[in-house]
Amino acid sequence: MRRSFLGEFEEIVLLVVAACPAEAYGVTIWEDVQQQTGRTITMSAVHATLYRLEEKGFLSSLMGGATAERGGRRKRFFALTNAGVQALNDIQEVRSRLWQAIPPGKFQLIGFKN
Amino acid sequence: MKHLTPPRWADWLLERFVAPHLLEDVQGDLHEVFYKQAEDAGLANARRSFVWAVLNYLNPFFLKRKPEAYSKPTNTTMIRNYFKIAFRNLVRNKTYTAINVSGLALGMTCGILIFMLVKYHLSFDTFHTNSDRIYRFVTEQHRETISYRANVPSPLGKVFRNDYTFGEKVARIATAEDVVLTVKEGSEIRKFKESEGVAFTEPEFFDIFNYPLLKGDRETALLDPNTAILTEKMARKLFGAADPMNKLFRLDNKVDFRVTGVLKDLPITTDRKSEIYVSYNTLKQYNDWLASDDAWGGINSAMQCFVRLRPGVSPDEVEKFLPAYVKKYRPTNKNVHHYKLQPLADIHFNARYGGVITKTNLWVLGCIGLFLIITACVNFINLATAQALKRSKEVGVRKVLGSFRGQLFWQFISETGLITTVAVGLACIASALLLPFINDWFKVQIAVNPLADWQFMLFLPLLTLVVTFFAGSYPGLILADFQPVMALKGKLSQQNIGGFNTRRTLIVGQFAISQVLIMGMIVITNQMRFSTQSDLGFNKDAVVMLPVATESNVLTMKTLKSQFSQIPGVQTVSVCQSAPASNYNVWNTSPNYDNRAEDEAFSVSVKAADEQYIPMFGLKIVAGRNLFPSDTAKEFIVNEMFARKLGLKASDEVIGKALSLNDGNTKGTIVGVIADFHDRSFHEDINAICITTAPDLYASYALKINSATVQPTLAALEKTWSDRHPDQVYDYQFLDEHIANFYATEDLMLKLIQTFAAIAIFIGCLGLYGLVSFMAAQKTKEIGIRKVLGSSMGQILWIFAKEFSRLILIAFVVAAPVAYYAMNAWLKNFIFRVDLGVGIFISAIVGTFLIAFITVGFQSIKAALMNPVKALRSE
Repeated sequence: MRRSFLGEFEEIVLLVVAACPAEAYGVTIWEDVQQQTGRTITMSAVHATLYRLEEKGFLSSLMGGATAERGGRRKRFFALTNAGVQALNDIQEVRSRLWQAIPPGKFQLIGFKN
Repeated sequence: MKHLTPPRWADWLLERFVAPHLLEDVQGDLHEVFYKQAEDAGLANARRSFVWAVLNYLNPFFLKRKPEAYSKPTNTTMIRNYFKIAFRNLVRNKTYTAINVSGLALGMTCGILIFMLVKYHLSFDTFHTNSDRIYRFVTEQHRETISYRANVPSPLGKVFRNDYTFGEKVARIATAEDVVLTVKEGSEIRKFKESEGVAFTEPEFFDIFNYPLLKGDRETALLDPNTAILTEKMARKLFGAADPMNKLFRLDNKVDFRVTGVLKDLPITTDRKSEIYVSYNTLKQYNDWLASDDAWGGINSAMQCFVRLRPGVSPDEVEKFLPAYVKKYRPTNKNVHHYKLQPLADIHFNARYGGVITKTNLWVLGCIGLFLIITACVNFINLATAQALKRSKEVGVRKVLGSFRGQLFWQFISETGLITTVAVGLACIASALLLPFINDWFKVQIAVNPLADWQFMLFLPLLTLVVTFFAGSYPGLILADFQPVMALKGKLSQQNIGGFNTRRTLIVGQFAISQVLIMGMIVITNQMRFSTQSDLGFNKDAVVMLPVATESNVLTMKTLKSQFSQIPGVQTVSVCQSAPASNYNVWNTSPNYDNRAEDEAFSVSVKAADEQYIPMFGLKIVAGRNLFPSDTAKEFIVNEMFARKLGLKASDEVIGKALSLNDGNTKGTIVGVIADFHDRSFHEDINAICITTAPDLYASYALKINSATVQPTLAALEKTWSDRHPDQVYDYQFLDEHIANFYATEDLMLKLIQTFAAIAIFIGCLGLYGLVSFMAAQKTKEIGIRKVLGSSMGQILWIFAKEFSRLILIAFVVAAPVAYYAMNAWLKNFIFRVDLGVGIFISAIVGTFLIAFITVGFQSIKAALMNPVKALRSE
């Protein structure tokens, strides 16, 4: 399979889905993403990303039961697939390897406390 | 809670837009957020953010529908199928496709080229502001016949500007052609021969015409004497990359000029060809007579005068005032001059005043182009209907499966469209390749830049569309009309397809036109051969003409003559004004014979020449003797026509009589009479001729050279001439080439008619081939039965031959009178012409028969050789 890469926003959305304690669907994910990042994000961006991640195989979705509060429309619940977990792990690994590769004291040189 | 709803239209938009498989949860999520916000932040806020959120969904990602497992047919599916089937059909019938495509491509190549040519000519001088108010002064000279000159006496422009207020701007321009320019750069002297010459121009010229100046000031550039402006191209030619401003050059070793401006290169589509404009007040240094304010006596072809009239002034109004000038300034002359105004738009097209091509000719060309395209379409129709039977099964199946007539029609149109598009592509390539030749033939400069040309870009698709519909409609209708039952049972025959007579008529028309062109071609070829190869009354072979340099005097001419005659290979040298037959350097004047009281009513062509002239050109002396070598004493030799025009019975009566030319300025005795010779082209009658010695008129050395050693002789001539005149440009011309140039127009016409005849015949043959394939298919059974009953191959071939002989004969009956009438009219341009013999018509029809039989031969023999079992067993 051709390997799909994750964009920054995709990664955040994927992480939010992973971090969600309850069943994750559009609205909750949207709210969490805004809360976690502190950015204002349109719902369409979140939806587009969710569907794209699903196309890439990192997420799976399932339609829930009929609801009362949204005109009877069903919710689409998202869950991580194995590939999604794998992808997040890969990213994490690359990041930590890179972090460890940073020579000690380098950040102090440019004025950061490490 | 009921009023808590999001805006209905936003919801509607969302439902339209977002793909159905995503819609439910997207809409659900949006609504959920809306209700939440409505409680927290108020209804208005919630509605606003709902609309904003919905608008954010309007992007391609959400628009994209999920592909369905069973695709629904769309509009394009059928069209794709049409093209697929069309492509398969075309590949299967390669011959048929090749014939169709090549026929159409050929016709359209002609169409495209002719379109470009016509457009090129129509675009001449249309870019000037207020071009509808720009006129040129011209003169009608009313004598025995009316002659038309694009020129006026030089003072006319000046007095018109001073006397009347009709003209907003008046500009005179005098062009000196074939000049030599010298540019001195340090010690190096460079010479340039400029055939387009130098124009002495009044500054107003650049107010009337839109030729923008890049450097220099338009108001002042040509005010001072000895100033000049050049086009960029000319500046580069004369001065290289250096800044041309304030550089000097010298004209004809006489007048110096300083460059005061640089013009943007002239557009190709203008009739002003001169690239050097110099100030008008310098003219008196160059040609005193032309510059004079009293030069009302004659019209010089160098002088032109343009005017831009004030708005609202009509040219008729102005022309009413012009006769007054003739009375005022030419009181002694008969009322010969009539001055007129010629609109700018007319200049390029009016042959009377030296226009390049007449509108009629453009129309004729356009019609030929149209005709060639139509014949190509006709062929297509012929071939396509002949092929229609093969498609009957396909049509039957399509109809049974529910095709409408309209759909079948469009199917065929799309097939035709495919062929046409390929043909147009080929035609474009062919046109691009042929354009250099066209430019060469027509002496035009059409540029290959179709992308910048919106008219051309519009023409191409239009041509494709029109040809597609014209060629495709009829076969399309026939195909669409097949009865499915008949088609599927194989009961359809060519009879059901019909239109056989239509096709016959088309073939007759095609062949009639081919034959007219063939006959025209034969007549023009004959006349051209007659003009260039018949005896002109003098010897024109192996004669080289060299110019007499401008600063030459009697002595230099004598020296050069003797130097020339020492060159091995030069047989005789004569110095003369012009060759016996010449279009330029001819001086016409009214003679006064034998002290008669009045000048004669006819004019005589004076040809100044030395005593070598008559023997060298082999002119036959019928009475008297040749001229004695002399530089002063006036002796005349006249031709028989001169005596005849005088009304004398015997031509030797003139010998010893006095002759006075040019208002008595040239007087002498007639000492000899020569036989008539053709002194002009065959378009014109033989003139009265008078040969006399007059060194100041000599303009050419005529040398008879040995035709075995032409190249070394020419090289030696050039060296001798250039050594004598180091600052002049050497130039030579063979007399027979010069004479052939008399017929340049006819030569072009011949080339054109040959091309068109070839194309018309080729297209006609394609059509014939189509018809014979059609007939062969139609007569398969008939031939089979005939063969079974014992017909010989010859008899079967005769079935085909009969049909085509008949068609060609009918075509001939139509073509012969048309050709006779047209060629008779054409030959009227010549005083000396060939006869329209029966031979021309016989060779035309024999030629057509030959070509036709070669075309139909293969198909008919194939049909005749076919095994009758194959034809008959299918029932």
